[in-house]
Amino acid sequence: MLELAVGIILGCCALGAGVAMIAGIGPGIGEGNAVAKACEAIGRQPESKGSVTSTMLMGCAVAETTGLYALVIAILLIFVAPNMLVNILLKVIG
Amino acid sequence: MKKIDPTIIKETLYVLVCVVILSAVMQSVFLIIHKWDYTVLLGNLLTGFAVTLNFFLMGLGVQKSLGKEEKEAKKVIRLSQIYRYLLLIAVLVIGVVFSCFNNWTVFIPVIFPRIAIAIRPLFNKKSDKMQQTTTSTEAPLEQDNQDQQEDQE
Repeated sequence: MLELAVGIILGCCALGAGVAMIAGIGPGIGEGNAVAKACEAIGRQPESKGSVTSTMLMGCAVAETTGLYALVIAILLIFVAPNMLVNILLKVIG
Repeated sequence: MKKIDPTIIKETLYVLVCVVILSAVMQSVFLIIHKWDYTVLLGNLLTGFAVTLNFFLMGLGVQKSLGKEEKEAKKVIRLSQIYRYLLLIAVLVIGVVFSCFNNWTVFIPVIFPRIAIAIRPLFNKKSDKMQQTTTSTEAPLEQDNQDQQEDQE
């Protein structure tokens, strides 16, 4: 029974990490679109290259943050959460 | 090797300065709550360096993609993002697995660049105000010079 409980904990942690990493897809698409539009804008007005690059860089960094949060959650779920949850389970069982 | 855009260097320096300041704040908080040891410093150094490098590499990716076609630019930036994610995964896993790094200080600096960008408009407002004051003081001088030239003519 204990083994089953530990197995469920580990499985759920792995599943949670996988689901969390779905958020990593969004920033890739968003950044790609932003850069594509920036290329278009610079092509139209080459003199505004500096300001467009600066704004886009900040925009890309903001877009990427959500992906980084997901990455942190996934790594916590894989490396930190299982030990913690198994310890709690063992304490509860006694 | 292609020359690095000065905008990217400027923004990376800004992020680096903010990361250093926020790291100092975090270290002082750990000191205040009496939880400071060398693992706190090591974890902070590891992730602080990694997130700054991540931002710089993103800038390089953006610079590389700027001169290209729309579709190619998308591909370049996505590829750059995958490599940067792999770098961050490696750094975070190293930080978690080895006990010489404090777990909290490995994860907290990941959000420092986001904080740096969030407070960016404050500095922009200041610089805009300074520019406005300089232009408002310069404008009457230019008008006087023009009047003098017209008088001489």
